[in-house]
Amino acid sequence: MTRLIRTELFKLTSTRSYAGMVAAAGGITALVTILTASRAGSHHGHMVVPPLYTFNGLHDVLTRTGPALILAMVFGAVIASGEFRFGTATGTYLATPKRTRVLAAKSVAGLVSGATIGGIGAAVATTVGLAFVHAHGYPTMISGISMTRYALGCVLAGALLGAAGVAVGSLIRSQLVASVSLFAFGFVVEEIIGGLYNGAAPYLPFTAATTLAGAHPVGGVAALPFAAATALVAAVAVAIAVLASRTTVRQDIT
Amino acid sequence: MAAIEIRDLTKRFGALVAVDHLSFDVEAGTVVGFLGPNGAGKTTTLRMLLGLVTPSSGTATINSHRYVDLPTPTRVVGAVLESSNFHPGRTARNHLRVAALAAGIERSRVDVALDVVELTRDADRRVGGFSLGMRQRLGLATALLGDPGVLILDEPANGLDPEGVRWLRTLLRGLAEEGTTVLVSSHILAEVAQTVDSVVILDRGHLVTQSSVADLTNHRDQVVRIVTPRAAELRVALLAEKATVRKTAPDTLQVSGATGEQIGLLAAGLGVPIFESSTVTSNLEDVFFQLTHSEATEVVR
Repeated sequence: MTRLIRTELFKLTSTRSYAGMVAAAGGITALVTILTASRAGSHHGHMVVPPLYTFNGLHDVLTRTGPALILAMVFGAVIASGEFRFGTATGTYLATPKRTRVLAAKSVAGLVSGATIGGIGAAVATTVGLAFVHAHGYPTMISGISMTRYALGCVLAGALLGAAGVAVGSLIRSQLVASVSLFAFGFVVEEIIGGLYNGAAPYLPFTAATTLAGAHPVGGVAALPFAAATALVAAVAVAIAVLASRTTVRQDIT
Repeated sequence: MAAIEIRDLTKRFGALVAVDHLSFDVEAGTVVGFLGPNGAGKTTTLRMLLGLVTPSSGTATINSHRYVDLPTPTRVVGAVLESSNFHPGRTARNHLRVAALAAGIERSRVDVALDVVELTRDADRRVGGFSLGMRQRLGLATALLGDPGVLILDEPANGLDPEGVRWLRTLLRGLAEEGTTVLVSSHILAEVAQTVDSVVILDRGHLVTQSSVADLTNHRDQVVRIVTPRAAELRVALLAEKATVRKTAPDTLQVSGATGEQIGLLAAGLGVPIFESSTVTSNLEDVFFQLTHSEATEVVR
């Protein structure tokens, strides 16, 4: 199994797509957090965006890692569905005919790549947040321990979402359909469900993952406890992987 | 001893029966051509043999084991199925490294395989920029990586230029001389005739015949060409002897179902002079078309 995991990790590093996705995660997080930090303290009608010298203002910047987490999940899907896009599944299954072992190794690759992308997102968000705070000479209202907890939570969330993405990419072999579905689910479906049914928001898997990184669910409801959110996202990833292993993973490679 | 055994193999895709109760063996150390028109079921059979497609019924084994049960399959069997099974952004060397790592094959074999297929110079180029012929060579390098005793090749000459085809023929014969068993599907029939020891011919999922090339072309369809000024008289006599006779010119007959010696004796008995007698041996392509009832356009792309 170690050999298979090494193979999957080598596949990641032997093309440019992984580096590209990491760069994209860093770039998008930088863009979003800079915009958020720039708007901090401004007025929008009757609404006041919390300034950076408050806990909420800095918290908003440090936890804007959702786009990076979506990319972690999408890249997981690319790891699995890319094999069918390029036809490399044939060679993969010739070398390892026991397909569930391949799925398991890819899930580990998804964990690793997702953790990296989540880590990049957290590092960029923290850097931007602190840079703005220091540039304005504000006090840092969030402790180092809390910031570390957000960052580690983001790494964990990225890892779990990366593995979930692999499961989705194994279930939906079309790379385009799998990727679009994940973007739509994270950015649209969960937003709508969470907006309509506030009480359900903490239990939605992508929302639960973002709460691991310190974000709050929409509607002001309380996030799930850290362990419960971790278990929820992990359970969703495992459930989709089991479903894939019993359906599409067994299908003929024609 | 059979290296490959196909027994009663059947594959249905819904109502379509792609392979229908197919059985044949490939003896160890031989090069066997796997022939059939498009849609005959060749690729489906090879994919079932390699565990990529699940048979509806029957078995396909290599060295008496199903592919999925082989402990280190790519060290036992090398396969080339399509020329496009590469990530275009990965270099040839890295493609082989991935394959070697997955199969637990020493990294040093990568350079050996690249050398065998003459791709060393292009090893660090991305596969997306490769020609079809180069992809075929890379596919072969992947198959040879584990130094397997059995090679399964689906249309490996596709995309190769005439020099490449000659190179492939030499490579396959060399591997066979070293004891490698090769099952190679192809529609380039003339090429197969020069490369293989025997052929398995498939049509619409059924086995049409399995035979050595020599048996197939020399004995199955031997035709004797006779030139005589009394062709009509000799034709009647041959038909009476149950031979099949075709008059191709006023003084020329093509006779099957009788040897040149038998025809000569019959003609001598009748006092019919024979100016010329020659054996016309069918080539594999003729036999193939005859057996599969195919039009040339269906087979030769």
